[in-house]
Amino acid sequence: MSQSITNTLETLLAPRLADTALAFWQKSRDELTAGVSTHRFAALIALASRHAKRTPLELSPEEIDAIAELGVSIDMRGWNLLELLRVGLITARCDLNEVSFAEDFEAQFVYADEGETCALYRALALLPAGERFVWRAGEGCRTNMNNVFATIALDTPYPVQHFDDTAWNQLVMKSLFLELPLWRVLGLDNRRSQDLTRMVLDFAEERESAGRAINNGLWLCLGPHDNERTSALALRAWAAANSGQHAAIVLGLARCNLVAVAEQLGADSIDTSVTSALQAAQNGQTDNIHFAQLTADNSETQA
Amino acid sequence: MRFFDPHIHMVSRTTDDYQNMAAAGIRAVIEPAFWMGQPRTNVGSFVDYFATLVGWERFRASQFGIAHYCTIGVNSKEANNEGLAREALELLPHFALKEGVVAIGEIGYDEITPAEEWVYQHQLQFAVDHDMVVMVHSPHRDKKNGIIRSIDVAREIGVPMEKLVIDHNNEETVQAVLDAGAWAAFTIYPNTKMGSERMVEIVRQYGPDRLIVDSSADWGVSDPLSVPKTAHLMQERGIEQSAIELTCWQNAIDAYAQSGQIDVDELMRDPVIDQSQSFSDNSVLRGQQPRIDEPVQN
Repeated sequence: MSQSITNTLETLLAPRLADTALAFWQKSRDELTAGVSTHRFAALIALASRHAKRTPLELSPEEIDAIAELGVSIDMRGWNLLELLRVGLITARCDLNEVSFAEDFEAQFVYADEGETCALYRALALLPAGERFVWRAGEGCRTNMNNVFATIALDTPYPVQHFDDTAWNQLVMKSLFLELPLWRVLGLDNRRSQDLTRMVLDFAEERESAGRAINNGLWLCLGPHDNERTSALALRAWAAANSGQHAAIVLGLARCNLVAVAEQLGADSIDTSVTSALQAAQNGQTDNIHFAQLTADNSETQA
Repeated sequence: MRFFDPHIHMVSRTTDDYQNMAAAGIRAVIEPAFWMGQPRTNVGSFVDYFATLVGWERFRASQFGIAHYCTIGVNSKEANNEGLAREALELLPHFALKEGVVAIGEIGYDEITPAEEWVYQHQLQFAVDHDMVVMVHSPHRDKKNGIIRSIDVAREIGVPMEKLVIDHNNEETVQAVLDAGAWAAFTIYPNTKMGSERMVEIVRQYGPDRLIVDSSADWGVSDPLSVPKTAHLMQERGIEQSAIELTCWQNAIDAYAQSGQIDVDELMRDPVIDQSQSFSDNSVLRGQQPRIDEPVQN
C-alpha cells in the first residue's frame, strides 16, 4: 500500500519539479527506502524546502482520479508542492509499520517549523495503522495556527476514522469557531450526534447574544436530535438572513429531517438560490458538497 | 480613575504597553500562567516560565509603577500532554506559594477531556490544601457546559465559591456563575470574546456585584487598555461611578486579596518608580535616563 502511495505521489511530483529537485527526490527516496537515521530523516524533510516552494498543485482531473484510486478518500487539492514532496519523503520510508518510524515521526513534530508541521499532519491519512498517531493529531487540533489546524480538520478522512467523540466534536466546533469551510470536514454527514447538536445550538445562541452572525457552515453540523431548538433557531435567523444564508438554513433543516419547516420558511421566496435549495432539500440532496458554494472559506488552502 | 486588570499576559507585551497602561490609570495586574501559543515540549520550559512570572516580569511591571501579581497553574490545553503535565504539576509547590501569587490558575477545561479533568482536579485539591483562590479559564467551545462542570467539580473538591473566579464569561453563562456564588470575570477581547458595549449592558443588567472586567491581552490581537476603555464607556453610558469602581478595581482586589498575597494598603498608595533599579543586573533601560520619583511623604 505504502509503495503504491509513494508511486502515486511521485507521479504528481515528477512533472512539477525542476531537474535538480527531481534528482533530490529520487536520491532521497532511494535513501529512505534503504533506511536512514533519525537525523538524516529530519534533514531530508527540512532540505525539501530548497527544492520545492509553496506553490499550489492545480491537480488535473486525471491526477485527482489517480489519487482516488488509492482508496483513502483524501482530497489533496489544497496541498502545496513542498507539502507533497515532504509527504512523499515520509511515505517512502521502509519501516512505516514499525516502532522506529512511529518514534521518528513523532520526534519530527518537536523540532518542526510551521511548514513542516503542516506537511507532517497532511501525511497522517496516508500512513498505515493510523491509530498510532491519534494523540498527535489531537495535539495538532490544539494549535493556534489556523493553517496547521486546517491540515488536520479539512480534506482528510483521518479525524472521522480515528477520533473519539470528544475529539471529533471539538474538531467540528473549532472549525466552526474559526469559520473554516465545514463542508470540507470529511465525514460530517454521517457523524452528527446529540452532543454535537447541543454544542452547536449553544454556540449559535452565544453568537446571537453577542449580536454576531451565524456562519452558514453551522447548519451542516446539526443532526436530527433537537428539532425544537433547531426549528426555533431557523425561525429567528431567517428574518435577517440573505439569500445564501436562507439556502444554508433550508439545507440544514433538511439534514435534520425538517423539510416541512424549510418549505414553510421558503414558501414565498422567489430567490433562485432558495428555490433550488428547497428543491435539493426535497430530493434529499443535502450532503456536504451542496454547501460548497454557501460556506465562507477562511482557510489558507483553497479547494 | 485607577484600574486593576486582573487577567493579562504581560510576557507577551512591550514596554510601550506598560507605559500606556500606566498612563491610562492601570495600577495593578494579575498575570495568569497559561500556554505560550504553541505547546511546550519539556518541563524546563515550565520552570523558566513560572520563574519569569514571579521574577523578571514582576520587576519589569514595577518599573512602570504597576503592581504585578500572578497565578500559577498548568493550563488545560497542555493538560492533554499527560506525561509533561504530571511533571509540570510537581512544580506547583515550588512556585504557587510565593509572594504575589494570588491564585492557582488559569486552570479548567479546553476540550473537556479526561486528561484535563484529572489535571484540573489535582490543582483544585492543591488550592484547597493551601487555602488558595482559583482562577478558572472557561473553554471557547462548549462554553456553558464547560463552566457548569468546572463549578461543580470545584465545589465537589471543596473550593469555597467565594474563592472561585470563573473567567471569559458571556451573556449566556453569567447567571449560572453568579447563582453558584462565584466571581464572574469578563474578558474584553475583540471578536472572540466580549466587547466593551456588551460589557456595559451586562453591568446594567446584573449589577456590579461579583463582576470583574479584564483584558486577557496576550500574544493575539488584543488590547491591554480594555479595562480603562470599558470603564470610560460605562461612564459615557451612565453606569454609576461606584459600579465602575467595583467592576474595574475593587472586586478584583476583594476576590484575589483573599490569597493574603496583596498588600492592599500599599496598592492604595501612589506608586513610586525607580528605574535605576535592576534585576540580576538587568535593567529595562536601554541607554535612557532612569525615571526616579520622589517617595511619598508619610
